[in-house]
Amino acid sequence: MMKMRILSAVLLLAVCAGCSSMGVEPWERDVLAREDMQLITDPLEAATDDHIYFSKEASSGGRGFGGGGCGCN
Amino acid sequence: MAAADAGVTDMSKSSRKNDRSVSVTLAAATCALLGTGVPAPVDAQEEPKWDFNTSLLYYGEDGDRVQDASLKSIIRRLFADDKSLSIGFTVDALTGATPSGAIRQDTAQTFTRPSGNSAYSVPAGDLPLDDTFRDTRVALTANWQQPAGEKGLLSIGMSTSKEYDYFHLGLNANYAHAFNNRNTTLSAGIAMASDSIEPVGGAPTPLSAMLDVGDVSNRNGDQDKDVMDVVFGVSQVISRDLVMQVNYSYSYSDGYLNNPYKVLSLVDGDTGDTLPRTTPLPPDGGPSGQFLFENRPDERTQHSLYTQAKYNMDGKVLDLSYRYMTDDWEIDSHTVDVRYRWPIGSRSYLEPHVRFYTQSEAEFYRLSLDSSQELPAFASSDYRLGNFDAITAGLKYGWKTRSGNDMSLRVEWYTQSGTVPGDQLIGNQTGRDNYPDLNALIVQFSYRFSR
Repeated sequence: MMKMRILSAVLLLAVCAGCSSMGVEPWERDVLAREDMQLITDPLEAATDDHIYFSKEASSGGRGFGGGGCGCN
Repeated sequence: MAAADAGVTDMSKSSRKNDRSVSVTLAAATCALLGTGVPAPVDAQEEPKWDFNTSLLYYGEDGDRVQDASLKSIIRRLFADDKSLSIGFTVDALTGATPSGAIRQDTAQTFTRPSGNSAYSVPAGDLPLDDTFRDTRVALTANWQQPAGEKGLLSIGMSTSKEYDYFHLGLNANYAHAFNNRNTTLSAGIAMASDSIEPVGGAPTPLSAMLDVGDVSNRNGDQDKDVMDVVFGVSQVISRDLVMQVNYSYSYSDGYLNNPYKVLSLVDGDTGDTLPRTTPLPPDGGPSGQFLFENRPDERTQHSLYTQAKYNMDGKVLDLSYRYMTDDWEIDSHTVDVRYRWPIGSRSYLEPHVRFYTQSEAEFYRLSLDSSQELPAFASSDYRLGNFDAITAGLKYGWKTRSGNDMSLRVEWYTQSGTVPGDQLIGNQTGRDNYPDLNALIVQFSYRFSR
């Protein structure tokens, strides 16, 4: 568990440290603004998948909150 | 979510457009943190006031196991100043059989139904399935979102669902803040849930025996559990064609975490066969052997690390994600998900999807209980706590109608295959197919329009 916390903290810091030199100017956002480039393109499909895998596997969430609200597991 | 319209009204047209796309990214990051039930941004150019997103799902497992027909809808109302309200609605109709947790035998077996009102039989050699599974689930979500300052986005929501034997009530909140010319978004979210488990016939005393029909002396009424989820995330624009996200999630569950319907077979220490009942079978029926109700710890802590990348390659989009999960039940899992969206003309696309999942078994996972040894404090033979791999493979076709509405159809196959650790197999169990492998078909049709 401790290992996991340290790993996450290091990853977060590494990502943040690299952030300032990455990215695009506001006028370069044409592609990123496209609907198919959003992190969740189809929210209903994402919700459906989260629900299916929550009921059939021992892991849930990750992308967001851990699903649940269901007596299926 | 008012994401796409998020331009500030007094800005110039061009900067407003930029702000919109920034907001789309920001909102998407928030969506990601909020998990289910939050709609995607709409097309910024049309500035619609309403967004309707509806889908019909069929989920069916082979071998007369679980079938689910589901209707899901998310309706979003956009207000001035980029505020929005989303209401989600789901109805599931579930039927079919589910593994009871007992092992196969060379002779026919009988079991008392969870209600305690009757018994059912399983033919010799068959995996014991409890065919009484039938439920309707209704779920509602509501989510309010609004800008917080110039670079922040605040969201609060609630969720509730009701099944015959389950009630869920949850609250959640999330804040996302953009930095670094809006190329970096940090977000934090929290969700709390309080659920009550209302098993048919009452929750059985853990590790007590399945009793004869009509005997409910080991039932303890309703139970409850609380779940807290915390998610921290970073999303980062790497280049014009690449955006990435990393999330860390913590989940703590506390309370009744058993499955009240699952049992384990109590077996002979040499043959591995289920011990027969010790008293004559009463006229109304009862279990043919000795089966004990499962028991899990009443706490569970999960940690997961999720990372996702979306990469544009000349109009085709690769969506790649990986999740590592570990918990204090000693389950570790890895999930890799790959989607590739391939435009066909300007109005439609094909999207192949592959997902690989693998998990190790919980420390208290047992195929059966050895009667020659002391009973463990915790034991469950629920296949979902076992050691298994799963693969999903599917294809989605999406198209825009002449009136500009979005439709899509996807067909996917999901298959699980597991193994019971060799050191758990006793006597005759060695030659049997012990793990209830699963094959399911998923078909989903979605329709979305804005007004």
